Amino acid sequence: MRVRLSRRFPNLRQSGGRWQHHHVISVTWRYHVHSYASLAPSQDVGQGSTLLLTSLTPATRSSLYLGVDTKSGSLFCSQCNNFVYNVMFEDLYLSTILLLEEQQTRFQVSKRTREPYQPWAPNNEEAAFLKNTTVLPCQGCRGLLNLGQTCFLNVILQSFIYNPLLRNFFLGDRHNSRLCKHTDCTCCEMDGLFTEIYSSSTIPFGPTSFLATTWKVSAEMSGYAQQDAHEFFITALNQIHGTCRGSTNISCNCIVHQTFAGQLQSEVTCERCGNVTRTVDPMLDISLELRDPGIEKEITLAGCLRRYTKPEKLGREYSCTKCAKATHEAVRRLSIRKLPPVLSFQFKRFEHKTVSKGVPQKIDTPVRFPVAINMAPYTTLATSSNGETTYPGPDAMYEYDLFAVINHEGQMENGHYTNFARFQDEWYRFDDEKVTLSSLGTCLNSNAYMCFYVKRHLDYKPYMKPTYLVARENDIVREQEQEKMRELARMKEVDDALMATIAGD
Amino acid sequence: MSKSTSDADALYTQVHRRMVESGDWDRILRVLSAKLSEQGWSDELYHRAKERARMMDPPLFKTVLEEISLHGEATVPVSVRRETTAQIRQFVKDQFEK
Repeated sequence: MRVRLSRRFPNLRQSGGRWQHHHVISVTWRYHVHSYASLAPSQDVGQGSTLLLTSLTPATRSSLYLGVDTKSGSLFCSQCNNFVYNVMFEDLYLSTILLLEEQQTRFQVSKRTREPYQPWAPNNEEAAFLKNTTVLPCQGCRGLLNLGQTCFLNVILQSFIYNPLLRNFFLGDRHNSRLCKHTDCTCCEMDGLFTEIYSSSTIPFGPTSFLATTWKVSAEMSGYAQQDAHEFFITALNQIHGTCRGSTNISCNCIVHQTFAGQLQSEVTCERCGNVTRTVDPMLDISLELRDPGIEKEITLAGCLRRYTKPEKLGREYSCTKCAKATHEAVRRLSIRKLPPVLSFQFKRFEHKTVSKGVPQKIDTPVRFPVAINMAPYTTLATSSNGETTYPGPDAMYEYDLFAVINHEGQMENGHYTNFARFQDEWYRFDDEKVTLSSLGTCLNSNAYMCFYVKRHLDYKPYMKPTYLVARENDIVREQEQEKMRELARMKEVDDALMATIAGD
Repeated sequence: MSKSTSDADALYTQVHRRMVESGDWDRILRVLSAKLSEQGWSDELYHRAKERARMMDPPLFKTVLEEISLHGEATVPVSVRRETTAQIRQFVKDQFEK
């Protein structure tokens, strides 16, 4: 599959003038390359890497060339004998890959292609407005003070702060705490949290009002004892959902559901008659059991997910609706029907079953988790048992990148939570108020309790106005209507008063 | 170059070509990639390469590649090496028994 860049991006010719030493005439991008072709045999860049080397300036037969690694789109310059970074090329590569993906994906139901991505460019009005604004750095990094066994709160808050979708929502002023009319509003607390983080201050601060509001709304979370971070995570999500504008109980579109909500399918097959019953349940995260890995093998996230989605005999009696016989032979299989933009995993380390001495034990076995995961094998489409193989879409739709990890050390009642979080390509370690630059390796080698992954490519409903824009427009119309009514009411009052004066004469 | 080495090279080229043509190269590579990734080998290399490049000014691709290639070769998990070699061996066996 080839895309002629010069046709897609006609301005490439003009920008050719920008290249002092390299004259770009046209660059052909090969999408699948199995071996690499070399035009200068002495240049052995790297065995096994797929490098397409194109000679430019064919007229002068110069030995100067640019190469492209087809897997990453990185640009190699023979003159520098190194990979070089060029912003324009990065953009071109991303745009091309996206274009190809768009052309290759069709919607399951309507068979239409995806809507082509249009990067945002300010219109005249917006450009004029932006002229008078100051650009702030988009990284906010602050430690959170421990207010008395509140490390469980701090780690979850940090995971929210480094969550790109939540960050964009609150930095986009979508829940302005000054305009909100709720009391004890956790959504306002989130707005407050982001305001603090992105303020010019870098010193740690204490999320006191967040904690206070959480206590007021969920009494079971109050008190100074150590709480479970995962429990707080779910509580916080429910609270934010509850105070978010436009949240509903069925297929809610609030920021919590937009970010975290997926769907889990449970498929039960009656072994006697083959009848299949499917139930779909909403989910905000996935909790994975940790079982004994066996002698040599280690526990991996992929292993846990495989176990989670493998067919299992139903341990109890099952009454099949079709053959109407109670049977002990039913098989259940879980699969992910809908993947959320942010995937949260919890490893069930705190077993509440009493083991031998009646004290719940913490399972400290480390789990190996990757920096990126492809969720396709665990989806309903991939584990479909109805025999037909539908094309599940390009891999890009299933790729997720790790952005936060929560760690717990110590025992159940007296432990300590810390976390890692990523901004762009840098990893940081958070221990309450202490924030340090860390590394991917340190993070991956840590003992994880919770892991957060974000989808690499977001999916959109095509050719549709976003619901929040529609809601805003409806608001404006409603405001205008209400204003009209108020005006009419005022005028009526004036008329009535006038009539009263006349009648009184 | 001795005759046996050039024979081995010729055989390698032939097997490689057949593997690519039959699609087995891609299939085995995919499985290998998934296994290495699941065992943390790929992430380890990524981390090493990043930290190594960070210490260089300017970062040089070839140096980084040489260093991590060495480490990568040495740290392929035994089970993965065993399973992949078995798959390749099976392929060669199937091919040349026809």
